[in-house]
Amino acid sequence: MSTGLERQGREVTEDDLEALIGDRALGRDDHLNAPGFVIRPDDVQDVLFDLRDEAGFDHLSCLTAQQYEDRYESIYHMKKYADPTQEVSVVVPTSIDDPVSQSAEPVFRTADWHEREAFDLVGIDYEGHPDPRRILLPETWQGHPLSKDYDQEQPQVVTLSEHANPIQPDHHDQESDTMFLNIGPHHPATHGVLHLETVLDGETVVDVDPDVGYLHRCEEQMCQSGTYRHQIMPYPDRWDYVSAGLLNEWAYARVAEDLADIEVPEYAQVIRTMGAELCRIASHMLALATFALDVYGDFTAVFQYGMRDREVVQDILEDLTGQRLMFNYFRLGGVAWDLPEPRGEFLEKTRDFLDGLPAKVDEYHDLLTGNEIFQVRTHDTGVLEPEVAKSYGCTGPVARASGVDYDLRRDDPYGYYENLEWDVVTRQGCDNYARVLCRMEEVEESAKIIEQCVDLLEDWPEDDREIQANVPRTLKPDPDTEVYRAVEGAKGELGIYIRSDGTDKPGRFKIRSPCFHNLSALGEMSEGEYVPDLIASLGSLDIVLGEVDR
Amino acid sequence: MIEGTPLQAGDTVLLPERIGDLTGLDQFGLAGELLATFLAAFLVGNLMLAMTGVAGPWAKRKITAAFTDRIAVNRLGPAGLFIIVADAVRLLSKELIVPENADRPAYDLAPIVVASSALLGFAVIPMGSGIHLADPEVGLVFTFAVAGIASVGLVMAGYSSANKYSLLGGLRAVAQNVAYEIPLIVTGMSVVIFTGTLQMSEIVAVQNEPLVDLGLVAIPQWFAIVNPFAFVLFLVANFAEVGRNPFDTPEAPTEIVAGYQTEYSSVYFVLIYLGEFLHIFLGGAIIATIFLGGPAGPGPEAIGIVWFLVKIWGVFLLTQWLRSAVPRVRIDQLIEIGWKGLLVLSFANLVLTAVIVGLIA
Repeated sequence: MSTGLERQGREVTEDDLEALIGDRALGRDDHLNAPGFVIRPDDVQDVLFDLRDEAGFDHLSCLTAQQYEDRYESIYHMKKYADPTQEVSVVVPTSIDDPVSQSAEPVFRTADWHEREAFDLVGIDYEGHPDPRRILLPETWQGHPLSKDYDQEQPQVVTLSEHANPIQPDHHDQESDTMFLNIGPHHPATHGVLHLETVLDGETVVDVDPDVGYLHRCEEQMCQSGTYRHQIMPYPDRWDYVSAGLLNEWAYARVAEDLADIEVPEYAQVIRTMGAELCRIASHMLALATFALDVYGDFTAVFQYGMRDREVVQDILEDLTGQRLMFNYFRLGGVAWDLPEPRGEFLEKTRDFLDGLPAKVDEYHDLLTGNEIFQVRTHDTGVLEPEVAKSYGCTGPVARASGVDYDLRRDDPYGYYENLEWDVVTRQGCDNYARVLCRMEEVEESAKIIEQCVDLLEDWPEDDREIQANVPRTLKPDPDTEVYRAVEGAKGELGIYIRSDGTDKPGRFKIRSPCFHNLSALGEMSEGEYVPDLIASLGSLDIVLGEVDR
Repeated sequence: MIEGTPLQAGDTVLLPERIGDLTGLDQFGLAGELLATFLAAFLVGNLMLAMTGVAGPWAKRKITAAFTDRIAVNRLGPAGLFIIVADAVRLLSKELIVPENADRPAYDLAPIVVASSALLGFAVIPMGSGIHLADPEVGLVFTFAVAGIASVGLVMAGYSSANKYSLLGGLRAVAQNVAYEIPLIVTGMSVVIFTGTLQMSEIVAVQNEPLVDLGLVAIPQWFAIVNPFAFVLFLVANFAEVGRNPFDTPEAPTEIVAGYQTEYSSVYFVLIYLGEFLHIFLGGAIIATIFLGGPAGPGPEAIGIVWFLVKIWGVFLLTQWLRSAVPRVRIDQLIEIGWKGLLVLSFANLVLTAVIVGLIA
């Protein structure tokens, strides 16, 4: 495994950062994961431009907004695509009476959606934002649910905007030849409840605006009202709910273990690694199957084969965790229980699956990627240039298929990954075809990882099978400790920010969803292409609305 | 026939005459003749409808399931056959929802046009065992013409539904049918050059002449054997004409929901669906007639209908196979394949056939 060291740019030290930000820093607000600099609200673009261009922080990983008693705060969590262990947080406090902050959208396109969300849920205004609308909640929603003065008990009847004709955009004016088309929220290809407001010229897509939020379930707020120790872990399963459960659980496990300084036993790490990669295979199989569904246009052979093979993984996961969908298997400091007895049988079953996998992958190549019509359909469609991908904060297979060599399992190692032999898959195609191939190759890499884990588990000495570290019954991290941590989920970088407030529940819990970022790039990928390509591009992004809307 | 072999029209006894004969209706003059014709048409029409009934709710499911590793209907009756009855009841008893802004009566007529145009085509197809309704001299042109009427129905459905997905589907259907009907007919004409007649019965008769006599077995000069190139061209154009994979762009679920049929429910939906299946079968019937020797096959002539149905179902099976295995092409690629590929190839085939037939003559 390559360590990624050779790819790192110049290591930026804290002194460099201090020198770079200079007087603009009002003070320091360090987080567990990164140095934090407090700046004035009208310096945001200035500082972010400098950090991006001078220091190489080209990845705006996440934007967290929150309200304290005396101020609002926006935190820009920045990283480098070349080396995600180099992090910096830019903290922007705004006054409680007039929470206006400069928009970062000119620096990073991904700030567009993030700042809309911060406005929507917390209530900070971003000056200079090109499109300051709500994003997750309906446009007529009253108040900002995560702000302090919001009445959580008061139910709201959501109406359409007053005096607005809901189908107004439907009626195009005399001059234009374009047609407005609602794709979704109920449409065969939207993979859930997604609404694409599309403007068509003939069959060519002129403009597409994803309208998300139909599946918003207040996940962040629910996590904020659960205790660290046990009550939060069941929720991550419900973000990306199509069999990526363990990967999501790991995101929470990692951030909470960092926060509470818990050491996970090695044996548990191996089990976690194996389970997570099984989930990745299941998730990629589903992505492949549904992409075939989008391009073939029907529940065809490829779709069914994908489901058939995913079913085997599901069985293994069910044996391991006792559940098929909502695993709830990870615990802080380890996993819930050891491998199922008889161990040999379980490991044998996993081996059988791995042995059969190459033949199945060949079958997919025969039927799907080798098909000329499929190639004609997917080559050079949905093109996502690497620089655009970075600006939108794309990660996971979507970024890697655009040649962005970024995988947290290697670049910011956790679990047992750094002790195993495997490769990060990247492709240079930038198109729908590259994304399909990327996922298929990642399945093979995951299989390699699982195989090594199975070997390790088989030979693990019986008296050293510690599945859980000693974790206090109640966790109360020091007040005002802030940490942002991410893992490589099935769809990309799945990050969580937690601020502790001295109680056994998080003061602020923010989820950085990879699908949210990947989806925001859809317009860039499909404008100027045909409707079928738009559908294919959407499929190739492999979004799960549960994770987009949270 | 190249040299005009004595095969006069009227050699064949058509089904109405036979029925008139059998029932004694021919004694009643014109009225009897009309009644016999009506009876014959009723029989043939119902045969086709019954086939569609089997194909839609049952055979299609079973075939697709076999391709995709599933089981499909198996609860009602032997091999799940009674699902046909259940589905008929289900589909007919569903609520008929007509969109508020639908343009009636175009909206109501479209399903009827789609279904009936396909049914009309079977009138001139010789199905063997004496099942042949009419045998006009322009038989082949007649089938192409009535099958082409379906496009009108699709456009009507597309624009009258007051739904943008329907409109897009309707537009796609027209663009596709225009692009593929020309190669279809031009390829069909290469058969006519070979046979020298448009009359269906003669086209079949010519093809049953032996091409090579191997003593025990004689290979007939079925046009698919004489000119496989034309056969493949015609098959491809036919898939586009009936809107099946990889050319199912007018419906294209996942892209434009269901295209022109998005707003149709209940009986109207059944009619449109019926029309689609009838078109597949009509396409199969035309292919069987002009390329595969019609009802010809081993055994006595009386079982001709069996061979004919086998051939039609063969084509149907092929459409289902493609549906399960081949992705859909994009609308612009579809048009490109039609105008730049198939059209050129079909004209090349026509000219070549003409030259070769001329040389042999």
